[in-house]
Amino acid sequence: MLDNQSNHTPIAVGDGAAIPHKSDAGLFTAWRIAFFGSIVLCLFLAFGRPDQYMAIFKFVPDGILITFKVTLGAIVLAIVFGLIAGLGRISSNRFINGTASLYVEVIRGIPLLVQLFYIYYALGRFIKIPDMLSAIIAMAFCYGAYMAEIFRAGIQSIPKGQMEAALSLGMSRRQAMHQVILPQAFKVVLPPIGNEFIALLKDSSLVSILAVSDLLRRGREYASETFNYFETYTVIALIYLIMTLFFSKLISIMEERLNEGR
Amino acid sequence: MKKFRFLSVAALLVVSLSATAMAAPKSIKVATDATWPPMEMVDSNKKVVGYDIDFLNAAAKEAGVTVEFKNTAWDGIFAGLDSGQYDAIISSVTITKERQAKYDFTDAYTSIGQILIVPKTDKTSKTIADLKGKKVGSQIGTTGSMEVKKVAGVESKTYDEIGLAFEDMAAGRISGVVCDEPVAAHFALKKKEYNDKFKIVGKAFTKEGYGIVVKKGNKELVALLNKGIKSVKAKKIDTKIHTKWVK
Repeated sequence: MLDNQSNHTPIAVGDGAAIPHKSDAGLFTAWRIAFFGSIVLCLFLAFGRPDQYMAIFKFVPDGILITFKVTLGAIVLAIVFGLIAGLGRISSNRFINGTASLYVEVIRGIPLLVQLFYIYYALGRFIKIPDMLSAIIAMAFCYGAYMAEIFRAGIQSIPKGQMEAALSLGMSRRQAMHQVILPQAFKVVLPPIGNEFIALLKDSSLVSILAVSDLLRRGREYASETFNYFETYTVIALIYLIMTLFFSKLISIMEERLNEGR
Repeated sequence: MKKFRFLSVAALLVVSLSATAMAAPKSIKVATDATWPPMEMVDSNKKVVGYDIDFLNAAAKEAGVTVEFKNTAWDGIFAGLDSGQYDAIISSVTITKERQAKYDFTDAYTSIGQILIVPKTDKTSKTIADLKGKKVGSQIGTTGSMEVKKVAGVESKTYDEIGLAFEDMAAGRISGVVCDEPVAAHFALKKKEYNDKFKIVGKAFTKEGYGIVVKKGNKELVALLNKGIKSVKAKKIDTKIHTKWVK
């Protein structure tokens, strides 16, 4: 999927993380309607129907914070895992290459939900990791495999001539990788990483099964005691929507800046 | 709904007319969260079994209806009743004022209390309040989790299933679990993996009654089930079921 990305389509269409581009007028308008619409709806619910909704808005904020912590922690760790595994995937050392490829194949083949259970409960019998940390590690471990493929594709998208030129200038392979290839590859991989970030933000709702008190868990706790299922899940969905739309906009702005510098 | 009403009235009539209550063709769909051993659980044959299951089957037999059980996750179990996916819930549901405001309950069919379980290494804790600054687990939306949240300074952690809370305590991530007495006994005393790790602290600190939940206003079904419950208790069938599952 990522292998055939060209410079004209910097973002591969991934697992539903949509980042609107200004040239795509339809989506751009939809983004605006959805973003401002959901904010207005939230305000209307909180202040127009305070008896049903205000309590929900007061109950969930610490959950939003946890969702952010998990997402940020996981994306940073995933980038580290991904970079290591991605470099491993293009390594000429057969052992390193094999290990990295095995990691990518195994992790990509196991559903994230199963991985979360596995790392938290199955491995919990042997290693003691605190709850938040194991949620973050599990998410990062999974996303690291996808990230590895992004890094590999990004590095391979840099023309071979660059490496040859750097080597002929007397740089070592390592120097060439650090100073010539990676800085260029970084620009290529940033948009898909942004996409992964948004996908991860949404998937972070899965950690609620690990008794991590994220946004979804807080909503479920509220709903299961008050039985206001409709109201609670409406609010939870709206908050997730506002967050992902906000970040997708941020990432598309970042991407535009990057393109200007190209 | 009309058909349902007619049928339950018919069922009542049949019951009242015939002393041997087995002619009624009516079947009711009942949800249970089968992750609450020994009250309701899934056995090795993938069948839903337990105290509640036996009790309701007995009560239904007395009332002249048959029961079809539907295994449902706890934190959506009331929502499913709202949307009419089943007629009733029997899942160790404590009768509380909050729940009574939204749903109708039968008479209590058994009474239990909340109890605290801690690791054996904890020699000092006597109540939840002794675990201030620590994490205490319970199942989401249960009376146990409400008790934990009442104690200021204790961090409440809620799980989808109570078994996951015990597993988390075995892994050392939480310092206590609060749940219904029989469930506590099942995990802390009967399970081999856990009985050398956990202990039950003191006595139950609440008094609660389990009821069968139906949609608000479904008086016919409440009456039918209450009749069954009364009869089961009068015939002392419930003590047999209690001995089978709890003791």
